[in-house]
Amino acid sequence: MSLLWTPFLPLAIVLSSLIPGLLIFTLREEQQRTRVALNLVGVVLKLLLVVVMLAGVAQGFTFRFQVPFLPGVPLILQGDALSLQFVSLSSLLWLATTIYAIGYFRGSPLQSRFFGYFSLCVSATVGLALAGNLVTFLLFYELLTLATFPLVVHKGTAAALDAGRRYLAYTMGGGTLTLMGVALLHSVAATPDFTAGGYLAPLLGEVDVSLTLAFALLIAGLGVKAALVPLHGWLPRAMVAPAPVSALLHAVAVVKAGAFGIIRVVYDVYGVETVAALELTRPLLYLAGFTIVYGSLMALRQRDIKKRLAFSTVSQVSYITLGVALLGPVAAVGALAHLVHQGLMKVTLFYCAGSFAETCGVHQVQEMDGLGRRMPLTMVAFTLAALGMIGIPPLAGFISKWYLGWGALAVDEPWVLVVLVVSGILNAAYFLPMIYRGWFAASKTGECARTEAPAMLLWPTLFTAALVVLVGVFAAFDLSPLAWAQLIVDREFGL
Amino acid sequence: MNTALLSLSAPLLAALWLLLTHRRQAPVVIVASLISLVAAVFSLYQVIDAGEQSLALGGWESPLGIRLRLMPVSAMLLTFTALIHSLVGLYAWRSRHSQTRHTDYWPLSCLLHAALAALWLSHDIFNWYVTLELLGLVAVVMVCLAGPKAYGAALRYLLLSLAASLCYLLGVALLYGVYGVLDVSLLAEAARADPSTRTALMLMTVGLMLKAALWPLHLWLPAAHSSAPTAVSALLSALVVKGPLFILWLLWSRVAPEELGQAAGPWLALAGVGALLVGGWSALRAPLIKLMVAYSTVAQLGYALLALGLMLHWRELSLDAALWLFVLAHGLAKVSMFLAAGEMQSTLGSRRLDSLKGATQTMPVAMFAFAVAGGSLIGLPPSGGFLAKWLLLLPLLQNPAHWPWALGVMLGTLISAAYVFRVVAISFDRARPTSPDFNPDRFAQWLSLLPALLVWGMALISEQLILWLTGATL
Repeated sequence: MSLLWTPFLPLAIVLSSLIPGLLIFTLREEQQRTRVALNLVGVVLKLLLVVVMLAGVAQGFTFRFQVPFLPGVPLILQGDALSLQFVSLSSLLWLATTIYAIGYFRGSPLQSRFFGYFSLCVSATVGLALAGNLVTFLLFYELLTLATFPLVVHKGTAAALDAGRRYLAYTMGGGTLTLMGVALLHSVAATPDFTAGGYLAPLLGEVDVSLTLAFALLIAGLGVKAALVPLHGWLPRAMVAPAPVSALLHAVAVVKAGAFGIIRVVYDVYGVETVAALELTRPLLYLAGFTIVYGSLMALRQRDIKKRLAFSTVSQVSYITLGVALLGPVAAVGALAHLVHQGLMKVTLFYCAGSFAETCGVHQVQEMDGLGRRMPLTMVAFTLAALGMIGIPPLAGFISKWYLGWGALAVDEPWVLVVLVVSGILNAAYFLPMIYRGWFAASKTGECARTEAPAMLLWPTLFTAALVVLVGVFAAFDLSPLAWAQLIVDREFGL
Repeated sequence: MNTALLSLSAPLLAALWLLLTHRRQAPVVIVASLISLVAAVFSLYQVIDAGEQSLALGGWESPLGIRLRLMPVSAMLLTFTALIHSLVGLYAWRSRHSQTRHTDYWPLSCLLHAALAALWLSHDIFNWYVTLELLGLVAVVMVCLAGPKAYGAALRYLLLSLAASLCYLLGVALLYGVYGVLDVSLLAEAARADPSTRTALMLMTVGLMLKAALWPLHLWLPAAHSSAPTAVSALLSALVVKGPLFILWLLWSRVAPEELGQAAGPWLALAGVGALLVGGWSALRAPLIKLMVAYSTVAQLGYALLALGLMLHWRELSLDAALWLFVLAHGLAKVSMFLAAGEMQSTLGSRRLDSLKGATQTMPVAMFAFAVAGGSLIGLPPSGGFLAKWLLLLPLLQNPAHWPWALGVMLGTLISAAYVFRVVAISFDRARPTSPDFNPDRFAQWLSLLPALLVWGMALISEQLILWLTGATL
């Protein structure tokens, strides 16, 4: 691979959504075709670039783009194995969600604004994934907040604005804490690149107070977006956003950004040994375990489909944090695989919820009676994703839970198994009734004709549902997220 | 040095020309400010190349004569002043909603520019008094351009400004009585930490803090800045309050004996944190658009004061760079915010914040400018506000004993995020239908966006800028 263009590849991946986004802002409402074309060109280009980079990274290349920013702290975009796990997920789901959103918003106003911010949101997510040091990460982390706010309040209703204010209050607070953590670390250790195994080990014993405080600040700041209890309050409220936004927020952009940040901080800033030496894992582990059970319990209490899914996200995203905090290589594989698996399952569920609401006006769980006969394909997708969430083999969710459980035993934390089992039971308790109602309960409104969702809503749903099955069934293959997670862990742990 | 003098005299001559001919020609002002800008840029290059320069007026050397001195910071501020003046002049000339197009704004803004340029170049505590007095009077008259409803605020501004001048002058007299010199460098060599110097510094500080509206002596600012015409508000917030701040900085970092600075530092820094919190809180509660922006100026000046105080207390010279970055970033962001706010206020027909409902749909560019400028005020990366905050934070975090100050910065950030996003959230409310003749001024909106883009564009040269500023302020 020639050396001339490789540094620009990460930049091009960010720009491939940023530039279409900025162009879309300038379009008039009625320029629907141009808008769609710009979106699709950006999506396809990004996917192609990601594929090139995947091939390169698999062969051991690193892609690094750098511009000066602060004295001693350049802005770095860098493609490594870990960043690509997240970049591929977001690019793929951006494709699906763009198509879904085009169908979803057909004929509704303010589309240029929506798709503009939508592209910015993806750019920020991808930039955050490719960030090569903490300051670059912080920059995109804050930009992500700015780009998602207009999406959350898109409807402009009182409820949407209320949710938006709450979202900002939480995320700006989190961003400020993250800034403090980053600056504190910079003041004791400068800001080198993310390094497999971390770069803080040499400072152990000298500035432990600063390191511990910085860790707490960073985890609190990232935990807001990752919806760790008690910092999760914004997430269920943000459900008033349009369905494609919820899908993106929950599967890729926001909550994943938080979880990904935690992965980066633990593995590439502090390093497993430093975290263990500072005894920082236990609080994080308990917090993640508590969040998993609490989120599931709250999901059980919700009557609104999207609210239930939201609390399910609170619970499921913490699997990632849990796997990271276990600090063992096996659990790490589970966590990294779950990053992708949870994204695929949750995006499918939100697509379905959006289709139910748009096509049949179904918002509440008890309104789901008989949906299977009216929208069979969508219901199939919903069922697959829900079963995956519960952890039924051979679907995606089972794979990650299996590795998490195995990883917990490997590092001698058997109580984590209890958490996983309890959460699995709770998952079944809130998903199975929905599936049952959909397929087996008789519709209260009488028999109703088959009204499958429009193609633009249906195909992305089926596509991601198929992926839920495929990444589970073919988990052992070289190109699966699990195999890639294994590759990352090999590099991170130096195996 | 000659280029710097040209940068000073271009607006001065333009003002005289307009006053003598009784014309109100905007293009003359724009051209003068652009000439001034080009000259200032050249002087900046010279200073970077050849270092500080000074000029004894009329060939009289100090202590007898008056010395002008071109430091790197003053060259930068000259450029900054000319840039902002030409931008705001362009707005005042081209915007359909400009309340100042056919008024005395034009000669006055040139006088303001000249007074500021003279202030940046002076190196003599009495000369500063003269420029401060001129600056204050011109500013008061410009507030009056808004008509009778601004007279109350202007009168208050005038009285406090006079009182402040008096305080400052007393301090000058005291120093002159003790040391017999007015030149800053000579004074710096002679200054001792005796009671009369202490009293003089205290008097001058109170005067300057009043003039710069530094908390808790800020009470005149919100009314004056918010009731002035839009273009004037922008100039007042971005430039005028920075004049006394510049003097305060030189006075404490160059003239005051070190032990006095060390003792006064924490108090200045505390006032800075107070400004951040109280000013921010008031901005959060403000019911009017421009009043909110004006209170945000009070809050943002707190960062500068905090940087100044801590620099004095710890002799941490990197904080000087933070101070001037705050001044640059705040100036640009505030011009953008005031122009956008003024434009929206006159187009949407109400001064109240509620009238911004739906502004993202009705006036997207102006609202975007407001939000982007707000992002820099909050200090979101990679804007200029972030760069300044980063420089301020690092020395605070290095030593656990300093962490409480960092907490102050953090609270300031949160509260500024709250007041900026309060407005942004309102603007995302669904728009009410607009009347068919609703026709916002596109050019003015884009013009208001320009300084906001500039402040974010500082990221492109951030590393050189920071390194240069750190070297230049030593």
